[in-house]
Amino acid sequence: MSVNAAAIATPNSRTVVLDTLRDETGVWLFVFKTLLAFYLTGWLAMRFSLAQPSTAMLTVIIVANRQSGMVLAKSFYRAIGTLAGAVAAFVIVGLFPQQRELFLLALSLWIGLCAGGATLYRNFKSYAFVLGGYTAAIIALPVINHPPAVFDSAVARISEVLLALIVSGAVNDVVLPSRMRDVLRRTARAQFAHFIGFVQGSTGGSIPRDVMENAHLRFVRDAVTLEDLRSSVIFEDAEARARSGHLQLFNQRFMAASTSFQSLHHLINRLQRNGQTASAKAIIELYGPIGAALDAPIEAGAAAAILLPRLIAARKTMATRAPQLRHSLTGPNAVRDFDTGASLLLRFSEELHAYVESAASLQAPRLLLRSPERVNFERGNDFASAGLAVFRTTLTMLVLGFFWIDSAWPTGASAMLIATIFAGLFATAPDPVRATRSVLLGYAIGMSAGFFCVFFVLTRMDGYGLLVAGTAPFLMVGLMALMRPLIASYGLGYCMGFAYILAVKNPMVFDPSSFLNDVIAQLIGLSSAAIAFIVVPPAIGSHWLRRRQLERLRRQVTLAAEAPLAGLRQRFESVNHDLFSQVVAQTAPGSADSRALIAWALAVHETGGALIALRQDRLTHRMPAEVDQCIALAINALARFYERPDSAGYARTRDAVSNAIDRASAEPSARPLLDHLHLIRLALLDGESAIADYMPETPAAQELTHAS
Amino acid sequence: MPREIALGDALVPGLLLLFVVSLALLWLIDWLAGRFGLYRMVWHPPVFRLALFVCVFGGLALLLL
Repeated sequence: MSVNAAAIATPNSRTVVLDTLRDETGVWLFVFKTLLAFYLTGWLAMRFSLAQPSTAMLTVIIVANRQSGMVLAKSFYRAIGTLAGAVAAFVIVGLFPQQRELFLLALSLWIGLCAGGATLYRNFKSYAFVLGGYTAAIIALPVINHPPAVFDSAVARISEVLLALIVSGAVNDVVLPSRMRDVLRRTARAQFAHFIGFVQGSTGGSIPRDVMENAHLRFVRDAVTLEDLRSSVIFEDAEARARSGHLQLFNQRFMAASTSFQSLHHLINRLQRNGQTASAKAIIELYGPIGAALDAPIEAGAAAAILLPRLIAARKTMATRAPQLRHSLTGPNAVRDFDTGASLLLRFSEELHAYVESAASLQAPRLLLRSPERVNFERGNDFASAGLAVFRTTLTMLVLGFFWIDSAWPTGASAMLIATIFAGLFATAPDPVRATRSVLLGYAIGMSAGFFCVFFVLTRMDGYGLLVAGTAPFLMVGLMALMRPLIASYGLGYCMGFAYILAVKNPMVFDPSSFLNDVIAQLIGLSSAAIAFIVVPPAIGSHWLRRRQLERLRRQVTLAAEAPLAGLRQRFESVNHDLFSQVVAQTAPGSADSRALIAWALAVHETGGALIALRQDRLTHRMPAEVDQCIALAINALARFYERPDSAGYARTRDAVSNAIDRASAEPSARPLLDHLHLIRLALLDGESAIADYMPETPAAQELTHAS
Repeated sequence: MPREIALGDALVPGLLLLFVVSLALLWLIDWLAGRFGLYRMVWHPPVFRLALFVCVFGGLALLLL
């Protein structure tokens, strides 16, 4: 018995070795592929006799990534950024060929604007902006003393960069590619299985608040991860690209269904807390058929399509059961609560059906030719923090530029170049000071290795084969480091420093004094980027930005109340999810800040969703102008309250909503709107939500009983 | 087809234009193949795509002769 236990506890040494080998294979594959692309690019650049093969080789290092799709996505955006930067360099040199001050000012502004644009995008789109700024600098700075050469400089840089992109794209796509498509498929499957499982598991009744919060976190993370993956995978796989629209629709429907699901459970929780167990029980009972319909083996990989007929049957059962349950309740309040729950449940079951349908169409081996409706995942951006990045980068460039002019420093251009790259690259990093510091250290080590390699190894070598043999071992160290998460930023610095300072040319030039001058300029440029991050700290993670994000989140309710209705639901959901995931990523889990933000996010999500549904129904149902006016007042009061929450606003909103309910219940044509209004009201009166702080100390007794 | 083409007074190699044209062609073929799942009949889609590109580009480059 004890022997058996020991055998289970310590894993087989064979499996340990195999697991390690499997991990290491991925790393070595990455090193091998990157080296292949690196030297192939260098060789081709020399064969084509391009001016600076080292620029092309450096580009290979910059776009290197373990996943093929990432390399392709990065290359695509890098190509766009390069072309845009070349045009900008052209314009700037053309405008100020003779005035160096104005030239530097214009260039600094362009680089700053690019860095600011980078903070507005996720993924590699932000990369296109960084590269736009960087390319303008690498084209314009070397020809500052000889402006007519700008065209040749632009052509040479574009050819070098595009050559590197084509080679590394082809190598990563063809030679033993590591695909993200499977990760995407797994993620989508897991999202589906988790959500269906969660819905099915919670049909029994109430869910505690912390479980709801965690579920919301998980739903948001799932939606955002799927969107991030999708935006990279479309570059590596033609089929994924063809299904991209379906996948976006799938994600949107997931967000819609999960919102309704949460509203439903908040409603049930509130009813139970307020002692309205009869109506809560009736809603839970009405909900039963959905749980039964979802009780099918989805984990085993069966197609989602088998759930569709079951869901339709469940809806029929619910429709026949609803009148009986409604009849069994006594008292107008209980019936009204039940009606609200039933309409919410109806909406949820429709959205769930749409979600399962899009999952089924994704799993179908052949794509239906019908093109899905266009949906976009919108992001919630903060323009103030982008402005900060513009200011910081422009300032760095100006200071370096004027130091360069004043000191007549021969290698000033080189320092400015490197500062451009890092000020842009790290503008979006959560802790840029630490990141820049470790990159700086890695850079210094990489350049020392470069010194050794150039003057002690390469001087004895002749021919391209020996160049590869002489430099590959040095580069391997950095590439291996790049794959270890703990020291990845040192590895990045090492590789970039090494590739830059190697400055492979044909024929090779060995000049220690200019080498050392360049090293000093690089280090000064990199340090000035680091200093800039200390002087003008980034907004990410600061209290100030968090407060702004919270305001932005609350203003989502105003958006739901006032923006044009076309496509509003999707816009609301995707911006909400993006904002929320930013907040979650930037606050420590479990801290007071994070809890407050999650509470607000839940309140905003629920109220905003109900408001949009209310406004949609208001368009389709004609009713007397007087009632319509009251509802408009209530919507407006809600928008104002969420914009600037205070006790007076709370009281005003509560009264406006209850007034609207009174008027609407007297009017038969406003019946469907009553459910939404009632839901909003229950959310307003919830003592556990984020807005509880603004409630008056002693809630009017008749208010509470009336509401519940 | 001329070997060099003047675009706004800048001489551009004809090969470059053909390269861009074949990229566009390949993108179209890729889109169609993704749409109808044709890559399922191919052993290694990226290699196939690269080979197809070489064929298209090489074929078009014969125009320069």
